[in-house]
Amino acid sequence: MKSAVTEEPPVPAPKTVKTRRFSISMVWIVPIVAVLVGISLVVHNWLQQGPTIQITFKTGQGLTANKTEVKYRNVVIGHVTTVDLSPDQKSVTATVKLSKQAENFAAEDSSFWVVSARIGAGGISGIDTLLSGDFIGADAGQSKKRAKVFTGLETPPPITYGEPGRRFTLHTTDLGSLGVGSSVSYRKISVGQVVSYQLAKDGKSVDIEIFVHAPYDAFITDNTRFWNASGVDIEAGANGFAVRTESLSSLLVGGIAFRAPQYNPNDQAAAEDKVFELFDDEQSALAPPKGRAQYLVLRFEQALRGLKTGAPVEFLGVEIGQVVSVNLDFDAATRSFPVNVGIVIYPQRLGQAHTKMLKELRHDPDDERNAAELLGTFIDHGLRAQARSGNLLTGQLYIALDFDPKAPKVVFDPTARPITIPTIPGSLEQLQEQFQAMVEKINRLPIERIANNLDANLVELHSSLKQFNKNTLPGVQGTLLEVSKTLQSANSTLADDSPQREQLTQTLDELGRMSRSLRELADYLGRNPESLLRGRPKDAPADALKPSRN
Amino acid sequence: MLDTDQLIICEHCDCVYHKVPLKKHQKALCQRCGAVLQRYNGMTLQQRLALSITAGVLWLMANFYPVMSISLKGLSNSATLWDSVLALADGPITFIALVAAISIIIAPMFQLAILIWVLGFALASKRSPGFITFMRWLESLRPWSMLEVCLLGAMVAVFKLAGLLDVLPGIGLFALAILSLLMIRIAGRDIRELWDALP
Repeated sequence: MKSAVTEEPPVPAPKTVKTRRFSISMVWIVPIVAVLVGISLVVHNWLQQGPTIQITFKTGQGLTANKTEVKYRNVVIGHVTTVDLSPDQKSVTATVKLSKQAENFAAEDSSFWVVSARIGAGGISGIDTLLSGDFIGADAGQSKKRAKVFTGLETPPPITYGEPGRRFTLHTTDLGSLGVGSSVSYRKISVGQVVSYQLAKDGKSVDIEIFVHAPYDAFITDNTRFWNASGVDIEAGANGFAVRTESLSSLLVGGIAFRAPQYNPNDQAAAEDKVFELFDDEQSALAPPKGRAQYLVLRFEQALRGLKTGAPVEFLGVEIGQVVSVNLDFDAATRSFPVNVGIVIYPQRLGQAHTKMLKELRHDPDDERNAAELLGTFIDHGLRAQARSGNLLTGQLYIALDFDPKAPKVVFDPTARPITIPTIPGSLEQLQEQFQAMVEKINRLPIERIANNLDANLVELHSSLKQFNKNTLPGVQGTLLEVSKTLQSANSTLADDSPQREQLTQTLDELGRMSRSLRELADYLGRNPESLLRGRPKDAPADALKPSRN
Repeated sequence: MLDTDQLIICEHCDCVYHKVPLKKHQKALCQRCGAVLQRYNGMTLQQRLALSITAGVLWLMANFYPVMSISLKGLSNSATLWDSVLALADGPITFIALVAAISIIIAPMFQLAILIWVLGFALASKRSPGFITFMRWLESLRPWSMLEVCLLGAMVAVFKLAGLLDVLPGIGLFALAILSLLMIRIAGRDIRELWDALP
């Protein structure tokens, strides 16, 4: 039992004490927190950072690195970090750091411009930049594509921030006094403005883009007519003088007005970006559509002073076109200078007559040959052009197309181009001719013979008068004496103290008395009618004979 | 030869004393002039290193984030410490810019870098390469580090401008404030204990 003897309380094995080389102190939380805060700030900044873009401007006016801000609706969406001259030294490049939420401002079609205090026709803008310094205005584009380099606009775009409304394009031959910012008015209320304009690719016309604000854009229909309402419109035409103005501001900076014609069935709102024609004035704008133009040439053998391009062409008094050219020509055969007048007519302006005519004659308006033949028949019926005086005051002429059955026959060549309509001399010319004819007629009168006859007649009259004086007048004198005597005797008869008059008075007195006694008798008989049979009663009182008071 | 390791000399009156181990809230005073000879230092090497790294991070923040931004009617401006040095350099007193750069940016940066370097090795109970040079540098850099002066100046500017402009203290200012407090704690005199700790 050795084991029992050596039994001792067991000694615990010595534990190995290990000292950690580094004991991590709680204080390490402090730098960790600091680092975390730092990292979070960096990450926050990095997340906040939007795209960096470059905008080129013509000048760096108002741009300061690290100071100039980029604003949208006056909210800062970025700032300029550097402003550098471009390598070719023709422009200035501003590097802009956009913020994260302004990412879509890097869209390809975004626009940027420098906002500074401006005084323009449309008013004063950007006064606040006088204090705060210029900033870059921005307008976000719609494109999905992102771009890095943009070209800054020189002037702020007139319409920004997705303003509700619609854009339309106007087509015109020249810009006139219009400009960006010119107002577009509807019934003289400003409802929009000119946004931009550019020359057409071929350089032959101008496309003006206008913007019409939201509630008013509904008034633009497919049938709406636009016209240039700029300035004062003074017109001295065959129709007399006309002066028209729009509002004062459009007088200064030009303007466009629009309206649909009064009678306007089946009209509907126009689609965005529809192209309209810009007319020169309200009158031509609201005129019915002209339709297809037909160019004609007239050849006059007379001077046409007062006939200008633009003068109206009337057919039976209806205006259907205008003069487009007046040119002098030289006729080698006759050695004379005829005047070639080019006119443009719009047959559609004849309205109902035109449609009826087309229907009746089965005429195709697009076939020029057909049109020439039709005109040929008209000319056979006496259709002639004539320059007439429209206004005696201004001496303006207009062209009248009328049927003159007495006009001499003319051979019409339907294959000749341009179609030529024969002419007859103008009205003033005709007047002169008529006057001439009258003078000639007067000349032809036998004035001498008439004068001789008249002289003989006068001699005869003279002798007749002599005879009258000699014989008739003494007789008349005697008769007059007789009449005088008769009147004298009549006078003496009617005098106051004449015996005839006295007798007359007496007779009248007698008659008075007689009538009184007759009345008494009648009264008595009225009271006593029996006395007619029985005679007068004896006891009758004397006053019964008195005339009754009744 | 007396063992000089355990002796301490009063800075002000050159009295020599024996070092005594101190407990919390204790400090040793000179008997002759009453100046503080020793203070209880409760900070371990690890804590000091951790705070040094924190200070390093704060230094980065103070230098890369604007100290303050001012705005007046939409016109706004903000500046970092480095911007202020550059602004001084632009003017006619370029020399002052150099002084400012040394005292508020470069000196603290070197202090922190040396501290982290030295303490990092000290944690492994080793003297770092160039220990003696760096420890001397730490002593000589201390008067050049004027972060607290800069902080005071910035705060005076904030308060003075607050009436005239809209002043917004930035992240940099807060980092600067914490950094200057930390610097007092970690880059103080007691760093010389390292001489004793690392024979």
